Amino acid sequence: MSATHTHALGAGHEHHDDHGPARGIGRWLTTTNHKDIGTMYLVFSLIMFLVGGAMALVIRAELFMPGMQLVDPGFFNTMTTVHALIMVFGAVMPATVGLANWMIPMQIGAPDMALPRMNNFSFWLLVAAFTLLISSLFMPGGGPAAGWTLYPPLVLQTGDALPLAIFAIHLAGASSIMGSINIIVTIMNLRAPGMTLLKMPLFPWTWLITAYLLIAVMPVFAGAVTMLLTDHFFGTTFFAASGGGDPVLYQHVFWFFGHPEVYIMILPAFGIVSEIIPTFSRKPLFGYDAMVYATASIAFLSFIVWAHHMFTVGMPLAGEMFFMLSTMLIAVPTGVKVFNWTATMWKGSLSFEPPMLFALAFLFLFTIGGFSGLMMAIAPVDFQYHDTYFIVAHFHYVLVPGAVFAIMAGVYYWLPKWTGHMYDMALAKAHFWASAIFVNVLFFPQHFLGLAGMPRRIPDYSTQFADWNMISSIGAFGFGLSQLLFVFLVWKCVRGGARASTAVWDGALNHGLEWTVPSPAPYHTFEEAPVVK
Amino acid sequence: MTNGPTDEQKRGIRRTAILLALVALAIYVAFIASGVMKAQH
Repeated sequence: MSATHTHALGAGHEHHDDHGPARGIGRWLTTTNHKDIGTMYLVFSLIMFLVGGAMALVIRAELFMPGMQLVDPGFFNTMTTVHALIMVFGAVMPATVGLANWMIPMQIGAPDMALPRMNNFSFWLLVAAFTLLISSLFMPGGGPAAGWTLYPPLVLQTGDALPLAIFAIHLAGASSIMGSINIIVTIMNLRAPGMTLLKMPLFPWTWLITAYLLIAVMPVFAGAVTMLLTDHFFGTTFFAASGGGDPVLYQHVFWFFGHPEVYIMILPAFGIVSEIIPTFSRKPLFGYDAMVYATASIAFLSFIVWAHHMFTVGMPLAGEMFFMLSTMLIAVPTGVKVFNWTATMWKGSLSFEPPMLFALAFLFLFTIGGFSGLMMAIAPVDFQYHDTYFIVAHFHYVLVPGAVFAIMAGVYYWLPKWTGHMYDMALAKAHFWASAIFVNVLFFPQHFLGLAGMPRRIPDYSTQFADWNMISSIGAFGFGLSQLLFVFLVWKCVRGGARASTAVWDGALNHGLEWTVPSPAPYHTFEEAPVVK
Repeated sequence: MTNGPTDEQKRGIRRTAILLALVALAIYVAFIASGVMKAQH
């Protein structure tokens, strides 16, 4: 805790000092330490995960039976909209940023992030953004209710909540862009001597590519919502057909952001899983170079597939063919990854601790989400499934047992390194099995509902859909309650437990610089830059 | 890394950060400008 240390550029003091964390609330408000900021991001994302999860339970409670049960249709639409915005921008993205803050400096041998004060600022900007978004629920006219895509002209009917929601998106976007700049400059400038890019662990690699994606597409979304704002308040008609504008233009701009956004959430998850599977297989990652190139390929392809979200809007046949085939092409680098993870396990000495269990569940269940995505890449098939529960099942398989399970795997993997304590293995395994079972009870029946024609974002439905909806809602409440085990487990681990060793896991040694520092990791990690051979 | 980033690293950090911020700003302005141009036609 008393490492001799100088902060990196921008930390505010250039002298050599021995100090640990400050005391009291001031530590958290003004900290420039990457571990403190990582912790704050992770706690924030957990809170948002619980808030967004509570909204999901309102939705599933309403859908438990046909007929209007608990909430009015307007509030139901607000719940679907704000649930999505919170989960995407407030839970999944900040969780991966939190993991990046904690782990990237340690994995590349850097003393801290390159721009620590900006790091602090981008976190608190995110808090401001979500305070605004959540307070928009209490505005006259109700919260935003046009879906997370905010399509005009519907979204322009929102009441006083619209400017709050748009400003919240601007703040969250600015926070993301600052975070991405920080990650790129840290990786490009502060790697330990000898750590070439192709010696870097996969988690920093996937985040490097994600950060470039974020910088490329976040301003696009910010531009789109700025134009919505001027349409609503300043008389422009970018997206209003009545004034010569084009509502379809918004959809193109939105999905030019929206599709890469999916990869912004899933690429860091790929990185986490690529760290965990080799450790618990006690083998190096199979096809490291191919994994890096596959990640870059997925990122590139994510820019040229956006209109597959808009097949039913109508487009020339050549457009349909292009977006259909380019979307299918993503299966190739994704397949490379799934193959390499499987090949890493081949003839490995496997063990099944909680991080590995979540990583394996990710591998199976994310692949289900990938397959249903391939189905919808086929334009004539998409005409049947569009806006049904099939798409709801698809993207939830990608994001919940995909991104969220990978984040949980990452937390279970690195938690002993953060706290210096081992957690309760039995409780963690109980959490895994409850989550893995209930997530399938929750989302798998939604495939059947979608194929049978149940539309999404509707609070009432025909009685033919009753049985599967009831099962799905039971799964939702089971999954939600299971997460309380996780909260309890983390709280218990932070407070105490068996001491964690430096390497923590049997197979972790030689799998990264983070396993060479003591547990818990010192407040200032590297007294001297490690040399990587 | 007791001595913090070297001068060369500091220059690299500053240069890369400013460049990336300008790229983000340019994309934001370009998309709004393209909307304005489309609206004028």
